Amino acid sequence: MEALQLLMEGFAGALTWQNLVWVLVGCLLGTAVGVMPGLGSSMAVALLLPVTFSLEPTAAFIMFAGVYFGGLFGDSTMGILMNTPGQASAIASTFEGHKMALKGKAAQALATAAIGAFVGGFVASILVVFLAPALADFSSSFGPAEFFALAVFAFVATSSVVTDNAVKGLAALFIGLGIAVIGIDGASGAPRFTLDSPFLFDGVSLVTVTVAVLALGEVIYVACLERHMSDKSIIKPKGRPWLSKAEFREAVPAWLRGTAIGLPFGVVPAGGSEIPTFLAYGLEKRLDQRRRSPRFGTGAIRGLAAPEAAGNSTTGMAMGALLALGLPISATAAIMLAAFRQYGLQPGPLLFERAPDLVWVLLASFFIAMIVLLILNLPFAMLWAKLLLIPRPYLYAGITLFCALGIYATSGSIFDLFLLLGIGFVGFLMRALDFPIAPLIIGMVLGPLAETSLRDAAMSANGDFSVLVQGPIVLTLYAILLLVLTFAVRGRIVARRRAKAEAEELSAATV
Amino acid sequence: MTPTNNPTAMSAVVGEEIRFSAGGPRTTAWLRHLIMPVLLLAFAAYLGYGMLTMRVPEGTAFPGPRFFPAIIASGLVLFAILLIVSAAKGLRAERAARAAATRSVDDFELLSEEHDAAAAGADAAVQGARAVKIDWRSLAWVIGSFAGFALLLDVLGWIIAAGLLFWCVARGFGAQKPIVSLVTGFTVSSLAYIAFDMALGMSLPSGILGGGF
Repeated sequence: MEALQLLMEGFAGALTWQNLVWVLVGCLLGTAVGVMPGLGSSMAVALLLPVTFSLEPTAAFIMFAGVYFGGLFGDSTMGILMNTPGQASAIASTFEGHKMALKGKAAQALATAAIGAFVGGFVASILVVFLAPALADFSSSFGPAEFFALAVFAFVATSSVVTDNAVKGLAALFIGLGIAVIGIDGASGAPRFTLDSPFLFDGVSLVTVTVAVLALGEVIYVACLERHMSDKSIIKPKGRPWLSKAEFREAVPAWLRGTAIGLPFGVVPAGGSEIPTFLAYGLEKRLDQRRRSPRFGTGAIRGLAAPEAAGNSTTGMAMGALLALGLPISATAAIMLAAFRQYGLQPGPLLFERAPDLVWVLLASFFIAMIVLLILNLPFAMLWAKLLLIPRPYLYAGITLFCALGIYATSGSIFDLFLLLGIGFVGFLMRALDFPIAPLIIGMVLGPLAETSLRDAAMSANGDFSVLVQGPIVLTLYAILLLVLTFAVRGRIVARRRAKAEAEELSAATV
Repeated sequence: MTPTNNPTAMSAVVGEEIRFSAGGPRTTAWLRHLIMPVLLLAFAAYLGYGMLTMRVPEGTAFPGPRFFPAIIASGLVLFAILLIVSAAKGLRAERAARAAATRSVDDFELLSEEHDAAAAGADAAVQGARAVKIDWRSLAWVIGSFAGFALLLDVLGWIIAAGLLFWCVARGFGAQKPIVSLVTGFTVSSLAYIAFDMALGMSLPSGILGGGF
């Protein structure tokens, strides 16, 4: 119950009026960015990260909590009303959500999504409060070998399990690792890859890289496609924005099941909340087929409720993994990690000891943010939908302007603007050639951790690398990794075989 | 499960899958496949050059500052080679498939136009998405205006430079009304200046408008 007491202290710290204002600002910005077409929560966090640097850490993180969850509340709005999901984690909720909207139940669909996001996030936050300190306690015995194993785990999982082509994923990862080694080497003091330019002594800032590949690269990419996009019409939600008792009763089990599916994915580095949303959708669909009158395909409320809850519970748990282990499971979490670093804080086992005030205020503000978001989204979902009417050229021009603002305001150098453009172009190339971006960011974030723990481990054992594969925790981690890889490879072989069989059938049918 | 390698990317977001077409003769397809390997090799070369010229302080114990970059550089080279090999394989398979398609079509003695359509259809089916060509003009507008913005920021100051950047990017995206977007651009850049420079205390250059602010 110690956690409960600390959480209460956190609430006491978070419930000052200044902090409440920051939560509100964060929630407003997060929802706005989440609702807008094409801006997921990772881009929201990347764009707003530089802006928060002028705030004191507590205020900045409280605002971040709002942005982080706000992006998830908003992203399903566009999927429901326009049949175009705001980001990948909203794809699964679009199937039934848009059908509900087509049947004239758009307002109820938005409400179902908002409550689902609330339930998932709230349950996950409660679990984080109780599990994160224990996890941090457990991981405080970690040495360099354990951290190296964790980093390798994250590298392999994000670059090969989630993406469909391991070589492409690994190439992206190594670009990220390579960018991370630029700058003065902390251990020996040797300047590395700086070309003796003082601009590069501090290395390439993670903020520059994330804004470049996630925001500017995306803008350049869309610029190349803009005239090819077809415009879609928006369904205007009408009627009562709340659920009837029957609808509520229908949705409750789906919310809870979705939450349960999403939770474990928050601590597995499997690329974030896309997979659990699809799993939750699939489960509801299968359960629905057993009912006397199946409702899927005609706008089933459960098909919307479950993925929404799953997505947000994964995101909530991901914060726990980040705080306790320092391990980001998705690109969004990686940027949050960068935010901590910017304030000289290293998430991980020591964070709970070194900055307890901040951690507990942050955890408390999760709950506050969740409630504020529910209030902002439930009655006002229709107002948010108006943001979808911003003309695309202005939207992207605004994003470009914001990229420039954030980078120039934090670094104050023209050199960084050119770096932003250059890396943004690389990001554009990667996107256009279908290379995954997330491994690059994960590599950039965890590269330094991997290098220092690798060198520390080897140095303390006089250059003997076998220490890296000793100890029960390390061996367990590698065993899990091997298991995950085996499953991934097996799944891929099965899929390839099936595709081949289908192709043969197809060609047999045509000839 | 997810449509592309970048699930948060706009192509997934917009709900329609668009991929850049390989188009054109075989050389263009080759070039397209070579972009990333060349980038990887160039980066590896930069790391290699840096490792050769690095001044390592004396008494640094093994593994020193060169150790980890060496792993990265060799990884980059390895993946570049693997990408080239798989591209070569893919192109050969594609050519074989196309040749087979042509043969079967010829068997039915179809008209040449329909034959082209069939080949294009097969191509689209291989890619699994609507293929479009890169819009070079929009690309040039966005990249050029950003480079210009970075060069002129100190001279023009934030408000003017950012307003012009907004206008250029909006134009690159095909905005129709130049005056309206110019006004919008200056409004946005001024609001950003007021919010971030004056209220939050970040330093943005005031440039030729300086003195007044």
